[in-house]
Amino acid sequence: MEEQVQKQSWWPKLVKVVSDHPLVFIILFFFIIPFIMPYKALATQIIIWGLFALGYNVCLGYTGMLSFGHAAYFGVGSYTTGIVLIRLWPNIWFGIFCGMLMGAITAFVLGYLCIKRRGIYFAMLTMAFAQLIYFLAFQWVDLTGGDNGLRNIPATPVTLFGYDLHIYEPLRFYFFVLFFVILSLLALNRILESPFGQVLQAVRENEPRAKSCGYETTNVRWLAFVISGSISGLAGGLHAIYLHFVGIDSLYWTTSGQVVMMTLLGGMGSFIGPFIGAGIFLYLEDMLSALTSNWMIFLGVIFVLCVLFFPAGVWGTIKNLSTRKKD
Amino acid sequence: MEALLKTINLTKNFGGLSAVSNVSFSIRKGDLQTIIGPNGAGKSTFFKLITGEIKPSSGQVLFLDQDITSLPQTKVSHLGIAVAYQITNIFPMLTVLENVRVAAQSRKTTFNLWSKALNHKALAEESLAILELIGLADFQGDTAANLSHGDRKRLEIGIALATKPKLLLLDEPTAGLSPHETRQTIELIKKIAEGLTIVLVEHKMKVVMEVSNTITVLHYGKLLAQGTPDDIRNNEEVRRVYLGGVKC
Repeated sequence: MEEQVQKQSWWPKLVKVVSDHPLVFIILFFFIIPFIMPYKALATQIIIWGLFALGYNVCLGYTGMLSFGHAAYFGVGSYTTGIVLIRLWPNIWFGIFCGMLMGAITAFVLGYLCIKRRGIYFAMLTMAFAQLIYFLAFQWVDLTGGDNGLRNIPATPVTLFGYDLHIYEPLRFYFFVLFFVILSLLALNRILESPFGQVLQAVRENEPRAKSCGYETTNVRWLAFVISGSISGLAGGLHAIYLHFVGIDSLYWTTSGQVVMMTLLGGMGSFIGPFIGAGIFLYLEDMLSALTSNWMIFLGVIFVLCVLFFPAGVWGTIKNLSTRKKD
Repeated sequence: MEALLKTINLTKNFGGLSAVSNVSFSIRKGDLQTIIGPNGAGKSTFFKLITGEIKPSSGQVLFLDQDITSLPQTKVSHLGIAVAYQITNIFPMLTVLENVRVAAQSRKTTFNLWSKALNHKALAEESLAILELIGLADFQGDTAANLSHGDRKRLEIGIALATKPKLLLLDEPTAGLSPHETRQTIELIKKIAEGLTIVLVEHKMKVVMEVSNTITVLHYGKLLAQGTPDDIRNNEEVRRVYLGGVKC
């Protein structure tokens, strides 16, 4: 009997250590994935989408707002970074900053229009506005390239103390992106542990009560939405640089759907979940699309099974399993 | 002494139904008043009108001589009116301590993004003191959803207290509690009543008669009677519509 307890006890402990220090383990994990993925660019894609899902999770997991329009902030970030690099100033830092800023501004404006509604109305409104932006970009061919997408985003050299970093080589580019991902993680961690982070959770748990305690919950949700939009914009900007191209589909509702899927797959309300979700999603996509052109069907089945049997997501399920023994 | 809270001809109609009609009520600072009445008499609606959760059809609410009738709920809360709800209304997945702390924090800061919540020592101490008062200090690290019904009802009061109200509205704090838990809650109410003005809605006559100085009886949204516990006990009309067979 005692032996059995000992035998089972190592992995719940591991899970507890990981969930108590999520940042340390995520960052450790980041240094491993480029070497375990079939190719480096896939790892880059995973952390970019993971970053997007992380930003989305501020909305869904931490504040409890189901947005179906996050493609807008991701896509606007992508286009802004691309357009700034092509037309305005070929400086990669400035380009990425502009992408993030435009993501935040878009979320600020659209957020104002959506945030007063709740639940399904909120979801539909966010989706409708995102589609509006999609059609705007589709029609505005001079600026965005329309259906052809935004092409030829320059590979501007990145220098540090006058030394060229040669970032456009898969592994180096991965670490370039990782730099932004880690910065965002640290910033978000700080925000979520702040008094404001506490209010966010209170609003998610029980908005009427938070209001009766004297919080302006509408403004709280709005600010969370803007933070979420800015991270999404940043992810979009990095994605544009990664591809040297922005496709019109980055604004399409499928992009919104994809980030919802990744977040649910990985598990909401944690730092680790979105990255696990992005990893599983993109890895499966990569693997299945090599085997069959109908990979979406299989991914769909896996997603449905996950939602049916692991509603807490992969990370949530692991965590629940590890604590279940105690009760 | 001047009234802390005063309602003047407060009326709320839901369609053809008048949930609260022409209620003029006032409470002095430091007083504990109870509102009783049969189910559907408009007691909870009356509370919601005071806190600004719903707006009255007509009439006025004055708090500290200020007209708060049309103020939004959050403003009313900041002026110093707190409610402990009848249907327990806590933050289920937060810990017991976090429940109280986040309520206490509402008096200080909302949009502080860049400091650690756990470093605000004063808030934590304040919240712990409240947990001691409501007898939940031993459960501070537990998830609120796992508390027993009685403990949740007291946490509900703790959340309201954490916002440092001048006036506390208690909506059936002993509903569904065991005799033992009811006893605990009565003691708690007596303790907090020492420094606080309280309006209590309650069904258990034993509780009502024990704690209140003044009793107001509502019936079909109308004010039926008002007076000391003895007055109410001996009031013919009150006995007929409400007290009925209840011994008190």
